[in-house]
Amino acid sequence: MAIFVAKRLAMMLLTMVAASFLVFAVCEFTPGSVARKSLGPFATQEQVDFLTKKLRADDPLLVRYGRWAGVLLGIIPDPLQDPSTGLNFKDPRGAQYFGNFGYSTLNKLPVNDVIWNRLGNTAILAGLAFLLIVPLSIVFGILSGLKEGGVLDRLLSVICITFTSIPEFASGVFLVTLFVILWPVLPGTSPLDTEGGWSVPSQLVLPVAVLVIYDFGYVARMIRVSMIGVMEKPFIRTAVLKGMSTRQVVIGHALRNAMIAPFTVLLLQINFLISGVVVTELVFAYPGFGRLLLDASLFGDIATIEAATLITVAIAVTTQFVGDLGYMLLDPRIRLR
Amino acid sequence: MDKTSHPYIPTLLDQLNEGEISRRDFLRKSTLLGLSAGAAYAMAGIIDPATQARAGDLPKGGNLRIGMRCMEIKDPHLADFAEKSNVIRQVCEYLTFTDRNNITHPYLLEKWDVSDDLKTWTLHIRKDVKWRDGRALNADDVVWNLKRVSDPKVGSSVLGLFTGYLVEEYDTGEKDDKGNPKKSSRLWSDKAIEKVDDSTVRLNLFSPQIAVAEHLFHYPMFILDPKDNGAFGPSANGTGPFEMVEYTVGKGAKYKARADYWGGAAHLDTFEFVDLGDNPGAGIAAMASKQVDGLSEADAVQINSMKAFPHVSVHKVETTQTIVMRMHPDVEQFKDKRVRQAMRHALDRDKIIQTVLLGAGTPAEDHHVAPSHPEYAALPKWPRDVEKAKKLMADAGHADGFELDLVTRPDPIWELNTTQAMAEQLKDIGIKANIKSLPSAQYWEVWTSAPFSLTAWGHRPLAIMTLGLAYRSNAAWNESHFSNAEFDKLLTQAEGILDPKERSKVMEKIELIMQDEGPIVQPFWRIFSTVMDKKVQGFELHPSQYIFAKDYAVASA
Repeated sequence: MAIFVAKRLAMMLLTMVAASFLVFAVCEFTPGSVARKSLGPFATQEQVDFLTKKLRADDPLLVRYGRWAGVLLGIIPDPLQDPSTGLNFKDPRGAQYFGNFGYSTLNKLPVNDVIWNRLGNTAILAGLAFLLIVPLSIVFGILSGLKEGGVLDRLLSVICITFTSIPEFASGVFLVTLFVILWPVLPGTSPLDTEGGWSVPSQLVLPVAVLVIYDFGYVARMIRVSMIGVMEKPFIRTAVLKGMSTRQVVIGHALRNAMIAPFTVLLLQINFLISGVVVTELVFAYPGFGRLLLDASLFGDIATIEAATLITVAIAVTTQFVGDLGYMLLDPRIRLR
Repeated sequence: MDKTSHPYIPTLLDQLNEGEISRRDFLRKSTLLGLSAGAAYAMAGIIDPATQARAGDLPKGGNLRIGMRCMEIKDPHLADFAEKSNVIRQVCEYLTFTDRNNITHPYLLEKWDVSDDLKTWTLHIRKDVKWRDGRALNADDVVWNLKRVSDPKVGSSVLGLFTGYLVEEYDTGEKDDKGNPKKSSRLWSDKAIEKVDDSTVRLNLFSPQIAVAEHLFHYPMFILDPKDNGAFGPSANGTGPFEMVEYTVGKGAKYKARADYWGGAAHLDTFEFVDLGDNPGAGIAAMASKQVDGLSEADAVQINSMKAFPHVSVHKVETTQTIVMRMHPDVEQFKDKRVRQAMRHALDRDKIIQTVLLGAGTPAEDHHVAPSHPEYAALPKWPRDVEKAKKLMADAGHADGFELDLVTRPDPIWELNTTQAMAEQLKDIGIKANIKSLPSAQYWEVWTSAPFSLTAWGHRPLAIMTLGLAYRSNAAWNESHFSNAEFDKLLTQAEGILDPKERSKVMEKIELIMQDEGPIVQPFWRIFSTVMDKKVQGFELHPSQYIFAKDYAVASA
C-alpha cells in the first residue's frame, strides 16, 4: 500500500511539473504583453517597457519558469515583492515560503489571497451538484438498464438525452426566464451575499440545477449501459432462475458489478465540476474558481493560471487515487501489486 | 463679475445676448476662462445641474447597489477603465468636473485663472477640503499628484494628455535593440508645475492649451494622499464623500458615507458595487430579481429585455463616443483620396445605427466632430450614393475594387457588429474587407500599425482634444498615420481661438479637409444608456459612464 501511494504521489509531481511547464510555454505564444494589458491601450511604449522590466517579463522562458518554481517551493523570495521595484506588491505571509503561488498581475494581489476563497465557492457549488448527480443518475441508470428497450427505459432515455444535450448557457437562460422573470421565486444571480435581499441557499438553487440537468443524464446513460451488460451475465440468470426477487438480484448481485465502470465516470465528474463550471458561473455571476481562471487566462496572468493548473492536477490525481481504492472495494479480484 | 475675470468674458456675454453663440457655447467658454460654473449658468439664464440635485429634497439614508465589473484598483493613477475609476471615484476626487453637458466646473478647485495666451493656468484650491484623516488639502498634495502622473515610470495615461504642453519628449541618447534612438518623457521645466502658496498651484505651459481643465478630469487624474504613495484600497485616505470599507476583486465594493464630507454628507448611508461578470444576461437577471438597484451600463439589447420590468427606468445620454474605420493613406489601395471619399459615400448610416445599435446612435459625418461639441460647424450631409462611390473608385483606378484585411476586435460586441455592417456595405462598391477579429489585448498591440482597422474612441467634451490626439502629424495616438500640414496649422489655430464663432469657422475648414482627404469613415455617435430602479433618485447618466454616488438617493419602499 505504501509503495502504491508513493508511486501515485510521484506520478502527481511529475504531472504537475509537465503541466506547469506546458502552461508556461503555451502562455508564451498567447498574444499581448501583460504590461500593455495592465497599463491599457493609451500608455506610451516607454511606459510599457518600464513595467515589463519591473515585472521581469522580458527574461527568457526558462529563467522565468525556474524563478516561478523557486518561489513556489520557497527556495527564493518573490522578486516582485522587493520594495525597490516600486510595484507595491506585498504578501502578508512574507516573500519566501513554501506554496507561494506568486503575485497575480491581474488582481494585483497574492494568488493565495484570491484563489482559495474562489475555490471554496466553487467547491460548494460542485459539491451540492455532485450530491444530487450521484443518486439521480444511479436511480435513472438502474431503472432504465433493468429492461433494455422497455417503456421505462425509453422514457428515461429520452429525458436523459434531452437534458444532456441542452448546453449550460441555454438551460441557465431558460431557468432564469422561468423562475426569475415569469414566476419570480428565485434570484437571477448568485453573488453570495445577502444584501440583495435573497438568502445564500436560494442563490444556489439555479446554478446547482443547471449543473445537475447538464450532467446527470450523461452519467445515467453510462450506468444504464453497464447495467445492461451485467443483467445479461449468466450469474444474473442463475440468480433469477433460483427464484430470487428482482430487488434482491439488483441490489445483491447486479449493482455492485454494474458500478465499476460508472464509478470512474462519476469521479471524473468531480474534475469537470471544479474546472468546467465556467459557463454556469458566468451565467449566474457566481464568484467562483472557473470565472477567475477565465479572467486570468484572458489577461495572461501566469501566476494565477499556474496555481489553478496545479490545483486541478492535484484534484484529478486525488480522485484517481480514490477511484483505485474504490475498485478494490467493488471488485475483490483487483489486487495491489 | 469681479475684476479678476478673464477680459474676454464680457465679449462672450455680448455674443450670447445677441444670439451669436448658443447658451451651451457660452457656458463652455466662460467656465473655461475661469468664471465659476454657477455664475456662468446664472448669466446664461439656466439652472446649474450641479446645484439642481442638491436643491431638491432627496430622501436621506439607505443603501444603493449598482452592478459593475470590479477589477484591481491598486494604483488610481493607472486606472485604465471607467469601471476602475468608478470604484475610486467615491473616495478620491478630481480638481475639475465635466458634467453631462460637456461643461467643466471646478471641483476640488475654487476656480482657475487662465492667462490671455493660454499658457499660464493658476489653480486655486478650495480651502474647506479635508482628507478623511482630518488634514486639510493643500498645494503640496496637488503638486505631488500632478508630478507623479507626469513620471513615465509610473505609467499613467495622463502623461499622454500632458505631452505637448507640460511634458516633452526627449532623446535619452541611448539606442534600442534596433539602433533607433530611445525617447523618454519629462516635465519640460522645473517650473512647469509650481506651488505659489498653500492653496495655489500654477501650471506653466510651453505651448498654449485650451483643454487643461478637461484634462484634469481625465479618469486617472485623482488627487491622492501622498502618504499612501499611489496605493489604493479600503484603508486609503481620500477627500471624497465615501470611505471604502471592503473590496474584493471580482466580487464587489462596499462604502460608508462620511459625515464630515466637505461638500455636505451624501444622501445615502452606504453604497455598493456588485460584480456581475461579463455576461450581459447576468445584469438582466440581477435587475429582475432586484439584487441590484441599477447597472453602470446597459446596451440596447439588454434594455430591450428590461423595458417590460415595471420597476426599471431607462436612462440615456448623447455622447461623443464613436468608432472610426481608418485607413493608412500610405497604403497602395488607399493612396488616392478618391478611394477614401468613395468609402464615405458607400455608407448607409441610418441602417447601421438601426441594425447594430437598435437605433441608439446619431449619424456621424466623417470628421470626428460631434454636433454636441461646442466647436461643431454644420456641413451638408453625405447620404449613401453607390453610383458616385463607384465612379470615384473607377477614377482612382480601382474600378474592379480590391480585397484587404480589416482588423477589429470581438468585444464589446457592437464594435464587431459595426465592422460587419460596414464591410457588407463596402462590398457594393467593390471593396472586400476580410474581417480579422483579434482579442482585445492583441488588438491594442497593433492598433496603430494595422493598415486598415476599426477603433472605438471614448467620449471627450471637446473635439479638438480628439483631433489633436488622433490626427495631428506624428501625434501619440495617430493610428491612421494621417499627416496634413494644412490640417495641423488649422488645428493649432483652432486650439488658440477663444471666440466660438471664429473658432467654428476654422473648424469648418478642418471638417472639410477631413471629409475631402481625411483617413476615416465614421458611421455614428453612440447614445449611452443604462437602467436604474425607479426608487433611485438624483441619478443623471454621465456620458463617460462615471458614477457619482454622492448625488444619488433611494426612496424607501
